[in-house]
Amino acid sequence: MAKDTRVLLADDHRLMRRGLRLVIEQHPGLTVVGEADDGRQAVAMAESLQPEVIVMDIGMPNLNGIEAAHQISEKHPDIAIVMLSMHSDEGYVLRALRAGARAYLLKDSAEEDLTQAIEAVRDGKSFFSPAVSRVLLEDYMRKLQRAGAEDSYDLLSGREREVLQLVAEGKSSKEIASLLNLSTYTVETHRSNIMQKLNLKGIPELILYAVRKGLIS
Amino acid sequence: MNRRPAKARATLPDRPGRGLRMVLLVGFGGLLALLLVAGGEALSALRQLHAAEQIARQNFLSRNRYLLEFRSTLDVYGNRIDEYFLSYNPDVQVSAAGDFAALARRIDKGLRAYPANRQPEEQALLDAMRKTLAEQEASLNKALSEDHRGDPEQMNRMLYKEVMPRNRQLITAVENVEVWNQHQLDAAGEMLLETFGHFQTHLTRLLLIILGSGLLLSAGSIVYIIRQDQEARRRYAELMESRNALAQLPSSLLDAQETERRSISRELHDEVGQSLGALLVDVGRLKAAIPTDNTAVHEQLAQIKETAESTVNAVRNIALLLRPSMLDDLGLVAAIEWQAREISRRSDMEVEVEAPAGVGIAENLSEDYKICIYRVAQEALNNAARHSGGHRAWVKLEQTADHIAISVRDDGRGFDTRKTRGLGLLGMEERVRRLGGKLDITSHPGGGTVLRAELPSAGRS
Repeated sequence: MAKDTRVLLADDHRLMRRGLRLVIEQHPGLTVVGEADDGRQAVAMAESLQPEVIVMDIGMPNLNGIEAAHQISEKHPDIAIVMLSMHSDEGYVLRALRAGARAYLLKDSAEEDLTQAIEAVRDGKSFFSPAVSRVLLEDYMRKLQRAGAEDSYDLLSGREREVLQLVAEGKSSKEIASLLNLSTYTVETHRSNIMQKLNLKGIPELILYAVRKGLIS
Repeated sequence: MNRRPAKARATLPDRPGRGLRMVLLVGFGGLLALLLVAGGEALSALRQLHAAEQIARQNFLSRNRYLLEFRSTLDVYGNRIDEYFLSYNPDVQVSAAGDFAALARRIDKGLRAYPANRQPEEQALLDAMRKTLAEQEASLNKALSEDHRGDPEQMNRMLYKEVMPRNRQLITAVENVEVWNQHQLDAAGEMLLETFGHFQTHLTRLLLIILGSGLLLSAGSIVYIIRQDQEARRRYAELMESRNALAQLPSSLLDAQETERRSISRELHDEVGQSLGALLVDVGRLKAAIPTDNTAVHEQLAQIKETAESTVNAVRNIALLLRPSMLDDLGLVAAIEWQAREISRRSDMEVEVEAPAGVGIAENLSEDYKICIYRVAQEALNNAARHSGGHRAWVKLEQTADHIAISVRDDGRGFDTRKTRGLGLLGMEERVRRLGGKLDITSHPGGGTVLRAELPSAGRS
């Protein structure tokens, strides 16, 4: 039997942490190795405990979740972060992604999706609360409609769409190349074309875009 | 709580200058009247003096004319008498005697024509003169009738003992009247001088009174003016004080409001929101722990979950409205972007945000600046969405070396900035002003609106 996935909890509310811990520990294969009260402590414990996954609340005193995630993922890009938030707004989602988070969960649905999200990020995938995906999509569609703009997704070729989805799911260029039987160079070209056509500035934007379009969840 | 209405501070203060003002008004009126009276009196007194002087002169001159005539007539009379008595020429004697009666009549006529307004003393003198004249006439008549021409001794005696002395007596009588007349003139002059002196004294006294009361009034006026001046200064100071207090009010209100909002928002978010979140997690766990075939309990749990979720949402929305947690969690640009999306979601207006490249650029601002810019954007966007009738709006954040500016533009119908000045605009102006910035609104009916707030770049934290 494989080793349990080691999870660090960072939330300033004891009640919340207790609930999350129970949810995680009831799930086979997951174990909570520590609990942090605020962002600073989370950074320190990430350093000392070297967990595989951190479940991090955005709104924390001293250092908020986003800043803490920044610091952690800069030093330890291999630690996967699940961001917990009360907000479904893309401002939070985008910044969480930029800070290195791969999953974004709304607190009010945390207990349903938490284990799924932890497993997804552990496996290098993304995960978003369905409510978040819905809000992002709604905003996107409304904007397109009102501004009378064309959906830039229509500009993408079939192959580019495939690559977009795989990039958003967290696959590396090399993985994508082998999956699609393409050279790594070709995949890179597709990636840069996608970024240009969709006017995206980086992977976080790309993931956000994919969530909006419902390509990943 | 027993809350009485605040006592109106605007009760009019007592007017300390009021009594004094009445006194001064009456005083000046009196002074003016006194001056008029004095002037009138002076004029009438001068006129009276002049008239009296005229009369006195007139009296003197009219009398003097007759008296001169009397003298010259008496001279002739005397000459004729001398001729009559001393001449050896009978023709001359006859001629002289013939003139006697005519000369006497002339004097008598003069005496009758003499001014009628005679004083008793004067009358007595004149009467004496007339009497002497009559006696002289009688003597002469006697001399003529007796005709002593042949008797020189007789003639001489008559001449020296009777006629000549009487003639001198006559001259003396005239001289007496002349003296009297001159005396009258002198007396009148003295009297005039005396009257003038009296009048002068009176006028001097009056002028002294006027001068004195004028000085008193001036002193009173100075006191009054000083008091008024002090009063004006005091009121000005009060006015400035209350104006400053009024100017301070919005600032302190804004501060208090912001602090209160923040604490309530945090309370809601941290306490209520988090507890509800924990509750939801617990419900989830409970749900997992209960066998799936127990549908009744599952339904109830679903109910509880739904209620808790909607409560969480409500609490979150209220908290966000009070204080956007983005401002603390993600910074200014994110908060404005969120606000823009919120407006886009809730209204017909699609809002785009153009922020400086790089998220960090506007984030080193002080809390005051952040909240000011955020609230300006919020208020402007809400106004645009509610009132402009437009469908697009653009928020732009700019930062240069010396200022940071936010502008909100819409494609609505615009408005007349001179006429419309809502509370929201005033609030924005106040926020911007107290940070030393300025708020410009460019709008005209039919042309959309651009609101721009510019703050000096002192607000780095």
